[in-house]
Amino acid sequence: MRIFQSWRYPASWSIFRMDDRLLLVIMAVIVGNCSGLAAVALNRALVAMFEWLHHFRDHWWAFTLPAVGAALSSLFLDKIVKEGAGHGVPEVIYSVSRYGGLLRLRSSISRLISSCLTIGSGGSAGPEAPVVMSGASIGSNIAKFFSLNDRQRVTLVGCGAAGAISAIFNAPIAGMVFAIEVILGEWKALHIIPIAIASVTGTEISRILQGNQIAFSHRQFSIDFTDILACIGLAVLTAAASILLTRLLRSMHSISEKVPAPVWVRAAIGGCAVGIVGIFLPVVMGEGYHWIRIMSEGALAKGLAFVALAALAKIVATSLTLGWGGSGGIFAPCLVIGSLVGVTYHHVLALLWPSVSWVNEGCFALLGMAGLISGILQAPLTGIFLIVEITGGYEVILPLIIVSAISTTLCHWIEPASFYLKDLVDLGHLLRPGTDARVLSDMTVRELIEKDCITVKQNMLLREFVNIVQQSRRNYFPVENEANGHFLGMIHLDDIRPYLFNAVMYDTVLIGQIMDTNVEIVHPDDDLSEILNRMDEQHLFSMPVVANNRFIGLISKATLLDKYRKELMVQTGQ
Amino acid sequence: MKLTIKEVAKCLKLPLSTVERWIRQGRIPIQKSGNNLTFTDSAIEKWAASHNLPFTKPQKDRAPQEGSGLENLLSVMKRGGVFHDVKGDDVPAVLQYAVNKMPTLSASVKIRLYERLLEREHLTSTGIGKGVAIPHPHDPLADVIDKPLIATCFLEKPIDFAAIDDKPVFVMFILISPTIKLHLHLLSRLSYCVRDNAFVEFLRASSDSDAFFSKIADFEKQLDKVDHY
Repeated sequence: MRIFQSWRYPASWSIFRMDDRLLLVIMAVIVGNCSGLAAVALNRALVAMFEWLHHFRDHWWAFTLPAVGAALSSLFLDKIVKEGAGHGVPEVIYSVSRYGGLLRLRSSISRLISSCLTIGSGGSAGPEAPVVMSGASIGSNIAKFFSLNDRQRVTLVGCGAAGAISAIFNAPIAGMVFAIEVILGEWKALHIIPIAIASVTGTEISRILQGNQIAFSHRQFSIDFTDILACIGLAVLTAAASILLTRLLRSMHSISEKVPAPVWVRAAIGGCAVGIVGIFLPVVMGEGYHWIRIMSEGALAKGLAFVALAALAKIVATSLTLGWGGSGGIFAPCLVIGSLVGVTYHHVLALLWPSVSWVNEGCFALLGMAGLISGILQAPLTGIFLIVEITGGYEVILPLIIVSAISTTLCHWIEPASFYLKDLVDLGHLLRPGTDARVLSDMTVRELIEKDCITVKQNMLLREFVNIVQQSRRNYFPVENEANGHFLGMIHLDDIRPYLFNAVMYDTVLIGQIMDTNVEIVHPDDDLSEILNRMDEQHLFSMPVVANNRFIGLISKATLLDKYRKELMVQTGQ
Repeated sequence: MKLTIKEVAKCLKLPLSTVERWIRQGRIPIQKSGNNLTFTDSAIEKWAASHNLPFTKPQKDRAPQEGSGLENLLSVMKRGGVFHDVKGDDVPAVLQYAVNKMPTLSASVKIRLYERLLEREHLTSTGIGKGVAIPHPHDPLADVIDKPLIATCFLEKPIDFAAIDDKPVFVMFILISPTIKLHLHLLSRLSYCVRDNAFVEFLRASSDSDAFFSKIADFEKQLDKVDHY
């Protein structure tokens, strides 16, 4: 019987007892498998959906297909699983930083279905973010099932995300780097090893089931010095496109919120608009991998005007789909926009300096993709490794690094928070490990409370109070109502100083007359950063903690600093 | 050695809730077996050292708290003894006479004590008014005595002590203690008694030591009542 019970508590097995690294590696294998399977499932579903809807696309009403898909996905998220729209990555990041990576089990399937509906019907979005959410949720729930602690669960959430990205792109390093750079924000050996293992497993699952193929193969490039110089211009252009996409997505979101209609109607409006754009420019529809493949091979035989327009149209379509309530990620659209921008730039170069023999336009498409990913996510390493892996083009690494670095820097300069983090930063929810905000958010008022205060009654004579002062070690005394025990105010030693040496006052003054009733109070559930701000603003060193009109204890800056330092040491140490 | 979560919290000088949160977040090394949590003290100590956290092991035989262990007036006074008809016409003479009367001290200590008491009197008079003086050395005599004592000396005839109210002194309490803390503690209690006019009148009228000690015992009770407020 005990054996059956203990299998759910692997942390108590003797081999894992002293160190949980081995346990995490084994868990990472399980999580990597599951999230890899989720990624493959979504991929298969998208293909099936595309084929199933293919023969409807010739009809005149085909432009309403994205509308129906987006509306269904929105209805599904809103009514059935009761989750917010969007791609889900900020939710994962927030959960990792605030709730130790706790995610709901239904999140592991909900985004897969909703994004499948949105993208399969032609909405302009990517399957990656939903898969990340799904993988993260799988990791979180596996950790919960085996009752692992928060730190281990966070690692497994990272494993899930890494396995998903690795599986969907067949790109293990990119998955690993994405999970660490974007999801966890903390480079520690303790995370990196299980995440690497999960990446390997996820990739292997996808290779077994779908074959080992490089997503966007290309011809051999011969890159000259002039090409490397030219990429600086491309980096600026991709940064501009990233900023445009970020801004447009956000403004579309705020416009759609003003429309007085249910969310699924809004999603339908957005989808319909995408469908109409798609009639004229089919490149904007769906996740667009087909087009990336064409462009990276340099086989897109279109003029400058077409590709420039297509890039803009794709930006608009993506913001219409995601901003108006469709469900899906930003990865794939970024890749499409990036390659379109790259091809556009190649055309411009060829127009300006026709005599220079530029490298093939496919190369610029790759660089453009890296520039856009780095710019939008502000994660240069993810951009570099993803492009290297999905194109199998290690020879472009030098310009790739340059484009990624410049694009990230420019975007960071204009938009300090990346697309994923912007909402979190606005709400003050970005709590990266080892930061002040994170340390403060982890500690609670209840842990800092000091209870060695002597409570005095409102109708006490000063004489009695002086006797109490003699016995006490503190300068602050809370005053309570005699009848019902409600907190009335505070009395500080300074308040009685004028009367301390006047014995006549001892029997004539009551505590209720001297006490300070206008005190700043704290609730046990208050946020510590807020409390500290209030202390700073009003030059307070301690504040009474009051709940339900009753005095509970005192919170002081000295204790807070002491505990803060210990917390910081524990959080940042190995 | 196994520690419970409460002991760990105490060793780290942190609230229980913080340690519980650290366990939940997986920041502190712990062994789980089902629902039981056990800490190994060596693992915790190593962990605390690597995180630069103070870690003190629980001590079983803690010395009793100092504040409550201070000796009270009555026993100190009994140790010091009560002396009647202390002779002398001026301050040095009465002090010399009183010190010589004190039974427990050796000759050399008596000389030193006398010098110290006189030294202190030169600084300012210890006559605190109402005919009472509390002579004491400026610094504690830690190396000479290990227990405090108060010698109550009724003077044969009141003498001028240069007291604050210029009244002649008729009773002296010679206070000797090994530590400053003890000195202040006893001085504070003694002055509480002397503040009471009725007590001073009692001292002036009678010098019976039993009645005197029972009065002191009453004061002690009052003081303890205030202390335990």
